[in-house]
Amino acid sequence: MLIPGIPRLLVLAFFLLLPFVGNLYLVNQFTLLLVYGMFAMSLSLLWGYVGLLCFGHAVFFGLGAYIMAMVTKQMIPGMDGILSSSLAGILAAVGFNALFALILGWFLFYGRLSGPYLGIVTLAISVLVERIFINWYYTGGYNGISSVPALSFAGWEFSDPRHLYLLVFVLSLCAYLFLRRVVNSPFGAIISAIKHNEARAESFGFHATKYKIKVFAIGASVAGLAGALFAAAAEFVSPTELGFKMSTEVLIWTALGGREGLIASFMGAVTVKLLENYLSEALSEYWVLIIGFIFLLSVIFFPQGLFGRLLENRNKGWSVTSPQRSKTKKEGRVC
Amino acid sequence: MLRVQGLEASYGESLALQGVDLSVEIGEIKALMGRNGMGKSTLLKAIMGLVKIRRGEVAVEGRSVTGMPTFQIALEGVGYVPQGREIFASFSVLENLRVGLLRFPRAERVIPKEIYDYFPLLKERENQRAGSFSGGQQQMLAIARALVGRPKLLLLDEPSEGIQPSIVEEIAEILKKINQETGLTILVVEQNINMISDIADSCAFMEKGRIAYACAMEEIMRDESIITRYMSV
Repeated sequence: MLIPGIPRLLVLAFFLLLPFVGNLYLVNQFTLLLVYGMFAMSLSLLWGYVGLLCFGHAVFFGLGAYIMAMVTKQMIPGMDGILSSSLAGILAAVGFNALFALILGWFLFYGRLSGPYLGIVTLAISVLVERIFINWYYTGGYNGISSVPALSFAGWEFSDPRHLYLLVFVLSLCAYLFLRRVVNSPFGAIISAIKHNEARAESFGFHATKYKIKVFAIGASVAGLAGALFAAAAEFVSPTELGFKMSTEVLIWTALGGREGLIASFMGAVTVKLLENYLSEALSEYWVLIIGFIFLLSVIFFPQGLFGRLLENRNKGWSVTSPQRSKTKKEGRVC
Repeated sequence: MLRVQGLEASYGESLALQGVDLSVEIGEIKALMGRNGMGKSTLLKAIMGLVKIRRGEVAVEGRSVTGMPTFQIALEGVGYVPQGREIFASFSVLENLRVGLLRFPRAERVIPKEIYDYFPLLKERENQRAGSFSGGQQQMLAIARALVGRPKLLLLDEPSEGIQPSIVEEIAEILKKINQETGLTILVVEQNINMISDIADSCAFMEKGRIAYACAMEEIMRDESIITRYMSV
């Protein structure tokens, strides 16, 4: 097999070198791909590492984007002039999402929702929030908010696409390293134990519900960061970013790439979006059919995703999982 | 150490525990026996908070734990090794043991040396995937994993189930040794009478969700008809 780590280094090198060799169109395109990749990683944490199938994850992405847009466009009442920098926008997006997820998680997980029920309820929330923003005149209704200011920190504006790309690249890398640290920490070990067997984890003295809420908030915060960067990079945000379609898309990216790996999920997002950009032009609506077909094949033949085996180190850390095995074990138990 | 009074719990529709009274003294190994479906496993689950209690009381060292969530009962010092062991198959041996430790502050997260004295195999194979262990080895790992949490009371559900006789004997010896050296109180559900007669101090038989008979181990040694009465099908 391949030497562990090499494929990951190749991914890193590719994204690092891209702005120096690619044309501006490519750089702009890949800036958004990085953002989508970061979004996929945040879902991978929830779905792949804790087994929380969140069907409405775009809510956090979209809210992050809206908050970023509203802060930097000084649309928050009473806050104009005080809170308008990019940094404030990002912090507000991340902070609000963390708080929102803590409250939402409290209701979801103390309500003992899991599996398909959690999926359905989060999906409903996503559709609900999408409806709210479609009908909210102040945030532009169906059209959303456009001409969101470019990112700027301490007077330095990232108007050059290459600079913006590098900034988003660095932030994506930070998000990856942060999430990796979370899953490899003792906290990560506990959430992995909860994923495998919640009752077992509880009988070792871990309050599973509390851990789920925390990890939900972490996933939501990272999704919020991705959303905030999206708003600044794309210079607009619309209800599409927080609704049903986006929520399903991120699930497909993550599943296709390999939900049990952060970089695998990241690459899932990049690959699907790239294919979509080129193939949807050539094939128009047949594109959806094709992606659906690929998705089905991958679920059947590559349950670990297209990149799961290649990019993730199977022997390391707590993330190592074999869902089939633990499932049969559970079912084989006679009470 | 453990006192259960008038415990009633239901599993779905049927009332699985119908007023269980049981006490386990400090430092003893008590065997809980009976035919299949009499509520032995359910009793352990109810003590651990994994099954909802309808009526009655469970107290550990005089403190009531009735209705507490499972994680809190664990923090009160109750360790539990379920039937079928339920080790984390994809974790390594060491990772499995560490899960038992993670609730302690960082400085105390050390696997006690005694664990490896009792189960030297776990040291030799610490990096092996736990799922590749044999049934007996998994059982040892499951017991060790419960022990690193430093319980005062250990609940064991059918430790001999599906394990070859020589290993059952080995596990029995280790349990007895741990009990004698550390004074750990053990409540063990078991059908294997050989194993029980080797380790238990006293014994209780369950029938239809109640304790039908309880006695010291010597009494059973004298009068084996007790076993035929409560165990034969």
